[in-house]
Amino acid sequence: MALLEVKNLSVAIRQKQGLITVVDNLSFHVDENETLGIVGESGCGKSLTALSIMGLLQGSQVRITEGTVCFDGVDLLILGPAERRAIMGDQMAMIFQEPMTSLNPVYRVGDQIVEVLLQHLKLSRAAAKQRTLELLDLVRIPNPILQINSYPHQMSGGQRQRIMIAMALACSPRILIADEPTTALDVTVQKEVLDLMGELQRHTGTAIVLISHDLGVIAQTCDRVAVMYRGKIVETAATKALFADIRHPYTKGLLNSLPLVDGDVEWLDTIPGQVPGIETVLPGCAFQPRCAFADERCSYEKPNDIRVAGGHWARCHYAGQST
Amino acid sequence: MIFLSRLKAFASSRVLATLGMVWLGVIIFAAVTAPLLAPFDPTEIDPIARLSEPGSLYWFGTDHFGRDTFSRALFGARMAILIGSGSVIVALLLGGLVGMLSAYFTTLGHVFMRIVDVLMAFPALLLALVLMTLLERSVINTILVIGIVYASTTARILFGMTLKLKNEVFVDAARCSGAGHISLLFRHILPNLISPLLVQASFIFAFAQLQSAALDFLGLGLPPEMASWGNMLSEERIYVTRAPWLLIFPGALIILSVFSMNLVGDAMRDSIDPRFKNDIAGV
Repeated sequence: MALLEVKNLSVAIRQKQGLITVVDNLSFHVDENETLGIVGESGCGKSLTALSIMGLLQGSQVRITEGTVCFDGVDLLILGPAERRAIMGDQMAMIFQEPMTSLNPVYRVGDQIVEVLLQHLKLSRAAAKQRTLELLDLVRIPNPILQINSYPHQMSGGQRQRIMIAMALACSPRILIADEPTTALDVTVQKEVLDLMGELQRHTGTAIVLISHDLGVIAQTCDRVAVMYRGKIVETAATKALFADIRHPYTKGLLNSLPLVDGDVEWLDTIPGQVPGIETVLPGCAFQPRCAFADERCSYEKPNDIRVAGGHWARCHYAGQST
Repeated sequence: MIFLSRLKAFASSRVLATLGMVWLGVIIFAAVTAPLLAPFDPTEIDPIARLSEPGSLYWFGTDHFGRDTFSRALFGARMAILIGSGSVIVALLLGGLVGMLSAYFTTLGHVFMRIVDVLMAFPALLLALVLMTLLERSVINTILVIGIVYASTTARILFGMTLKLKNEVFVDAARCSGAGHISLLFRHILPNLISPLLVQASFIFAFAQLQSAALDFLGLGLPPEMASWGNMLSEERIYVTRAPWLLIFPGALIILSVFSMNLVGDAMRDSIDPRFKNDIAGV
């Protein structure tokens, strides 16, 4: 059984004209010790998926309308608040995109980690502090004994993101959801943080869901990839298999729009057009208006998931033919 | 040592605020040591010495009962501090709680904040008058009424700030690590509100002085036998032409105290809000 299994998850935003579905019938799973990358452009619903899994949608205009999110066989969506709190931070943790604002500015960073530890583990304050020092060392914060007393504003973005990672890993969670953890960081710092996450995963066996819009980041770190477009997964496969044999035109478009370091490129490919607004209803394939390969069938018939190979699925009528 | 040098730097850059603090220190000192400092019992009546001019025996003169105005002013400082701090506590507790809970639980907020809106529609003094007419004159009731009047503004301010804070990523992050509502509100959001609360406290303290003096003057505040600056003004106002010192001293005390507290509050707000730091640092 998969560690995290999301089945038929639909998320909708409440607007004046009614509910608008932004995550549509999404299903995926994450196994233990695995890194799943979810990639897609802004507004494709990848962050909302993460927030739905972590239960952070309450009190907003966004509702989960359908589906189940099973963690270790338990549906999180029907869990009571107290039971859910016991899992959050202990077995599931999340890292956010903005390291600048994801730490509480009025507490010392050490105390923030200590608090998470005390909440979930039966530790004395001294033991928790000791563990915090170990964690800071683990995420390679230089001079932990000194830095444990720093306030967030005294640290750089990269350091803060390391603190966030330390905090997320404090209780050795079984799954870590990382929502664009490196987007706000410099490329060099980004690589360090990604390497760190990979290394910690090898240590602890934590499963990671890495959400990103950066195919490069995903290719570098993930075992499996799910490509999202307009609230649906359009293509999913093991990373190697996917990049070896891309079947969905959108994935192909994403890859072609990457600048290459060694290539002498004059012209960078882009995907023409824009993502249709969430209120636009398309009878056929959601990517059809922007797809270079689309024909008439694509404009009226919704494609189904087509199995390309074992574990490689693409949501395109012509996924069966190698392009 | 570092503290002392910082204090010096503060005093030289903010002369008025420092003077205000010194004056408040004097008032607090007077309030604490009133029984020791006062040359006379503030309630002791001496018909022979009534309406004496200020002099070596009666420094601030005497009122129409022959009570020593200086001693009464000292005990009045006690009341001023008591009413001020009491009102601050009531206003911050009540207003803070209502504001934070309203912002955090939106449905609750719809109800609570409409009540706050209604309270804010009344002029502060009118609301205090209405409430005081329903209650009997006592120290506790005065504190409660002034506290409630200023709780509405506090609630408004905290409502807005909590609304902003609760959508911060660090609150989501705390929720992700398993923090419940109470922990989120009081351990993660509240500490971020301490500085605006302090500033608000200083202004409420100042307004409470004015408000209680006004209530006393209108005969609805503290019981008349109590020595408070407002009561002194109220009782002696008909002697303004014969014995103006009876009004000058308590009036000056009220003005100076409120002014000092406002200066201190301004300085606090400026030092907390970095946007003001360079603009008016010399004031």
